[in-house]
Amino acid sequence: MKCWNCEKDTAGRPFCPACGRIAARPPGATHFDVFGLPRTYDVDVAALERQYRELSLQLHPDRFTQAEARERRLSLEQTTALNEAYKTLKDATKRAFYLLKLHGVDLEREDAGAQKDMPLEFLEEVMELREALDEVMEARNLDRAQKMAADVEGRRKTALQEAVDTLRTLEKAPPVESSVKKASHALGRVRYFTRFLEQVETFEEEMLA
Amino acid sequence: MSKNGYLQIHDPLKPKGHAVGIDLGTTNSLVASVIQGKPRCLAADEGDSNLLPSVVHYAKDGGVVVGARAKTLAAEHPTDTILSVKRFMGRGPDDAETRKLGAYKFASGGKVVRFEVAGGQPVTPIEVSGEILRALKRRAESHFAGRVEQAVITVPAYFDDAQRQATKDASRLAGLEVLRLLNEPTAAALAYGLDKGSQGTYAVYDLGGGTFDVSILKLVDGVFEVKSTGGDSALGGDDFDRAIAQRVLEALGQSSPAPTLVAEVLAASRKAKEALTDAPEVELTVGSHRQTLRRSDFEEWIRPLIQKTGGVCRRALKDAGVTASELDGVILVGGATRVPAVRRFVAELFGREPLSDIDPDQVVALGAAVQADLLTNVDRQDEVLLLDVIPLSLGLETMGGLVEKLIPRNSTIPTAAGQVFTTFKDGQTGLDVHVLQGERELVEDCRSLARFTLSGIPPLPAGMARVEVRFQVDADGILAVTAKEQSTGTTQSITVKPSHGLTDEEIEQMLLDSIDHAEDDVQVRQLREQRVEAERVLTEAERQLEEHGALLADGERATIEAAMAKVREGAKGNDSHALKESIHALDEVCKPFVERVMNQALTKVVAGHSVEEF
Repeated sequence: MKCWNCEKDTAGRPFCPACGRIAARPPGATHFDVFGLPRTYDVDVAALERQYRELSLQLHPDRFTQAEARERRLSLEQTTALNEAYKTLKDATKRAFYLLKLHGVDLEREDAGAQKDMPLEFLEEVMELREALDEVMEARNLDRAQKMAADVEGRRKTALQEAVDTLRTLEKAPPVESSVKKASHALGRVRYFTRFLEQVETFEEEMLA
Repeated sequence: MSKNGYLQIHDPLKPKGHAVGIDLGTTNSLVASVIQGKPRCLAADEGDSNLLPSVVHYAKDGGVVVGARAKTLAAEHPTDTILSVKRFMGRGPDDAETRKLGAYKFASGGKVVRFEVAGGQPVTPIEVSGEILRALKRRAESHFAGRVEQAVITVPAYFDDAQRQATKDASRLAGLEVLRLLNEPTAAALAYGLDKGSQGTYAVYDLGGGTFDVSILKLVDGVFEVKSTGGDSALGGDDFDRAIAQRVLEALGQSSPAPTLVAEVLAASRKAKEALTDAPEVELTVGSHRQTLRRSDFEEWIRPLIQKTGGVCRRALKDAGVTASELDGVILVGGATRVPAVRRFVAELFGREPLSDIDPDQVVALGAAVQADLLTNVDRQDEVLLLDVIPLSLGLETMGGLVEKLIPRNSTIPTAAGQVFTTFKDGQTGLDVHVLQGERELVEDCRSLARFTLSGIPPLPAGMARVEVRFQVDADGILAVTAKEQSTGTTQSITVKPSHGLTDEEIEQMLLDSIDHAEDDVQVRQLREQRVEAERVLTEAERQLEEHGALLADGERATIEAAMAKVREGAKGNDSHALKESIHALDEVCKPFVERVMNQALTKVVAGHSVEEF
């Protein structure tokens, strides 16, 4: 990337190493690139937080209120990307989904084929949970809803661990399609369980209100 | 011009303009600035209160009165005197908040609330707020005897996009560039945090005249990171007044009272509420009607209102991922936190005594002044940074009147999100987009921010055209939308017209109108400014005469003193033009003398250095 100001290479850094002015975001930069981190699941969250604060102090639009329009825009773009990267990487679940996305499977997209591709036993599990929750909600039984939530939270954790283990194996060797699929199935379950838990939570709030 | 004249030569580093912090409150507004390293609220005159009542009176002759004097006119002219205008910012005429008990006369029709007032066309809340901001700007300008063009303006954290936009528009009308819209609880935390050099996690409980906010913040190494925020932009001390007023009107047997009576009862209720902070029992008088109010009754009436804040606090804690016992402190902000029942409730809710050692009326303005200084003062830039969040989720309408959330609440700003739309008919060239803000699932339960049509999509078979819509929320919490057709790369920027806001054209027109309007008080203001300037110039001249009298030429002292006498005389009169002339004349007369003073100072500096060093 050429610096807009001095035309030297910015080397993907937030500020041009040659002239020190704020740089444009390199196209295709990942959340890991924002922090200069390797593309791995294991991230030192405490160090990430410190780095986030340091970068924010330098890049935030508040630092550019009296700067010219171009620098204000670059600050906005970089800070937006920084916030998004931090939000994703600090969270164990979001980080796993993001790594899967970098492997080519985006489970966040509604029209993603990966969702329809889930194994049959998972669909059975979904049906069974759905029915049980409907019953509990109809009976307005808060106690049973909370017990179900605890059970599903356990399943969610197991599925996430499975996904994380698979993602770690993907880091070591060239990606194998079957492993990507395995991680995708595990995270597909995490996604379903998370939504299920959100529903229980909404129900709880309604009951307590 | 004497502003850049010779008598200012000894103050070459004086910044070009002063940046101020403004708390644009429901009941009172304040302007503050960092002076000699410390934030201070500015009073209109020495010894005066620094609270400017947020009251605007429109007179029959077209004149506008703001503040304490406007407040005294409220009883006699209730509908021409607008109180608590902040409640109406960014709201439509049918909003529940608009319909609460109050002495207002609304103009019919339109998407925006408009008040019928004496002396001209109906006015919008943006214009009324613009008058308050203009008065504060004037106050600061007369304090500094110089222009004030940049401000940090505080808004309730729970203000939505339309309310923020309205606040920004009001500043534009007042001729103020908004450096940043700052959330009120964050401003308060800034005032506290810098004062105490604190680290840790804090809750700010902010109950003002018309709005309630709670924010959970984490302070580490100078970074104030807002973890979550929650609130109710239609709940505040005004509702406590109304709780009393409703009982009084019932006792009076009035089911549809006249505006004058409503205004009178509301004012008496407010007084009673304030008195009940210290007294267990007060007597309320309206005309010949007398009624005894007990604090215990009052607390019973407002209990549901206070409890409403409890749920909001619990959700904010949950969103932040902390429990009440993990907090390092709770900060009280806003006049309504003086009510003892509120204090007790907060102490119980958070399990600790809340902090209120900075005046809860001033703390927000002081924090805003600090932020204004941080944003404009290069020397202070590495010290502190605020990272704030968007209070309410942003989403789009999808099939079946449901809302799909794109940016969840409590996302750190600036933030952005994209969504790809595809066409569903062959040859379709337009797409309707409906932007909403709120937490509920149904469109009708959320705040409609904007509706627009993406046009110019190339006619393609259904599903082939893909339009990416991108939402960017800036550091003020304000939304901008852009759209890009992916197959052709055509980019389209969309002006988001807020559903309850004003168009740019309307704002332009108001700007023009306000310039006509302002002519009246320009004279008064100029005179005031010139008087301040006169005083400054006289002090400076006296100082120079005293310190460098030896440098005076023959007869020069007499000439300067004569010119000084002219300025003193002018300052007593009412002719700002003549006063300005006399200041200019004094400046000219002083010129040779001041130059000699400068030369001497320079010689002293240069002595002992070789020319090469320069």
